[in-house]
Amino acid sequence: MASEQLGKAAAQQRKHWDRKWIPYVLLAPALVTIFVIILSPLATTIYYSFSNIDLIRDRTTFVGIDNYVELFGSRLFWKAVEVNLKFAAIVVTVPTLTGLFFALLLVENFKGRSIGRTLLILPWALPWIVVGLLWNWVVNAQFGALNGLLYTLGLIDKYIPFMADEDWALVFTAMASAWRQTSFSAILLLAALQTIPEDLYDAAKVDGAGMRARFRFITFAWLRPTLTIVLLYNVVLGFLQFDAVWIMTQGGPGDATMLISVLLYRYTFINFDLGMGAAVSNVLGLITMGVGLIFVRLIYRSHTTYA
Amino acid sequence: MAAGVGYRNSGIVRKIATYFAFFCLLFWVGFPVYFMLITSFMRAHELGAKPPHWIPPEPTVENYREVLIGKAGEAGGYGSTTEFTRMMPALLNSTFVSVAVVLSNLVIGGMAAYAFSRFRFRLSRAAYFAILMTRVLPALSLIVPLFVILRKLKLVNTLWALILTYTIFILPLTIWILREYFDTLARDIEEMALIDGATRWQAFRMVVAPLAIPGIIAVGVMSFMEAWSEFFFALTLTNSLTYPPLLMSFRNLHQVNWNALAAATVIGVIPPVVIAFVFQRYLVRSLSEGAVKG
Repeated sequence: MASEQLGKAAAQQRKHWDRKWIPYVLLAPALVTIFVIILSPLATTIYYSFSNIDLIRDRTTFVGIDNYVELFGSRLFWKAVEVNLKFAAIVVTVPTLTGLFFALLLVENFKGRSIGRTLLILPWALPWIVVGLLWNWVVNAQFGALNGLLYTLGLIDKYIPFMADEDWALVFTAMASAWRQTSFSAILLLAALQTIPEDLYDAAKVDGAGMRARFRFITFAWLRPTLTIVLLYNVVLGFLQFDAVWIMTQGGPGDATMLISVLLYRYTFINFDLGMGAAVSNVLGLITMGVGLIFVRLIYRSHTTYA
Repeated sequence: MAAGVGYRNSGIVRKIATYFAFFCLLFWVGFPVYFMLITSFMRAHELGAKPPHWIPPEPTVENYREVLIGKAGEAGGYGSTTEFTRMMPALLNSTFVSVAVVLSNLVIGGMAAYAFSRFRFRLSRAAYFAILMTRVLPALSLIVPLFVILRKLKLVNTLWALILTYTIFILPLTIWILREYFDTLARDIEEMALIDGATRWQAFRMVVAPLAIPGIIAVGVMSFMEAWSEFFFALTLTNSLTYPPLLMSFRNLHQVNWNALAAATVIGVIPPVVIAFVFQRYLVRSLSEGAVKG
């Protein structure tokens, strides 16, 4: 009897607490701030991209698609696209492959593995700006580590001014990004590798699967979802990187490392052409949102199946 | 362990290959980091030597002293001395911003994550989708209107501008990871607490929160690291109040004192690196669970 009564009271209390407004109250701070800081600027950026903004006379005039027409007709924009595609190609492939390589190494049982796993975290823990600086040290023409190494090994007898060369500048800014991203990729892949049940390999061995077959049909198959995620992360980085490139080259020499993000910065903060800056923003935004949409859909799908 | 190695044959070849790969890892990570470390302990005239010194010939902490206390030291002629007096305030500002971001993120994000995890309500799926989507929005592209809004709020060139923006941009990640944790906690235990007469807040505080501690730590650590490292907003919304843009302004000095710059870099990365090493277990788990399973 007593417990029945207790249950009734509790049910009443739960009813009291499960009122419909609770989730909205809990969500309100997050939604309000996200609206103010993200969605309203997003709407404004879209509006700006169709406007001509005269900062001196503080006048905004609607110009339709003029900014986009000018942008798509400019040599500078297509140069930025070309540079960015090359940059992204390196930032997608190098971290994915070296990350996989290091992950496969660090799942092996050998002395030094724990040192390796700890060391792997280090690049990921460094701010992008520091990564850019580190690589500045590596490629510097007067005292750079890479020049020093090549010189010590006797491979060169004069230091090479890497960053004065357009191709090298692009390669090394991309390598700086790849360096940190490799750690991130490897961390994700290593975690996935560690979850492969050993029985799978034993069973495959019993069935007479060779080494290559075991790698392909067990390891690789198991890693595929993680690899997809890693690839998407790397593509997004390939288009959103700014910090490390900005501190290394500020887009130079010439326009050799002028990513779309650098172009955006130039229009907005150097030319103070906010309309054009907003147009570049939206182009960049569409590219990454496209990738992001795939990404979120993957997560979202897994969520609904788990729930 | 041995999980995941079953596709390999064993033997001496494998051992050699393993150690060769290990050497590659050490070199890949270590080479850039090591060179900056030794630069920070060298004097300016030792830097340009050919072949370079791979070990500082006369290690000195002069650079660190110059950066932290602002003493000119040996490189007195460099114009960087006054700039370095901004280092200590910048480190304090960065600490304040990062801690504030961690706290506001955990409170705001925790509330939202709990709502998504425990309630089914109108538009809950759409709201969750929208929040996740903001994570992949290029933050870079929002800077102009954001600047305008923050200027209206009179927050430009204050730490609050950074705290506000960082909190918002990290929120999606926080909500996502914490929701994962809340989802995995059995609802039964929480409901038992409710039946026993606990309020929802009590049930959350005494049942849910303790079990979600790994997730809370991971989120806290990640938001600290993002807030400590963020460069672009700090560059555009403030006048080098925090560490990352200040480092950039050292770099852009007409005459860079590279050794002092190295020391400044090393000092500034100590907090995130120590935190990442101490909490690596939590971080790796959340990163991978978050990324793979969602």
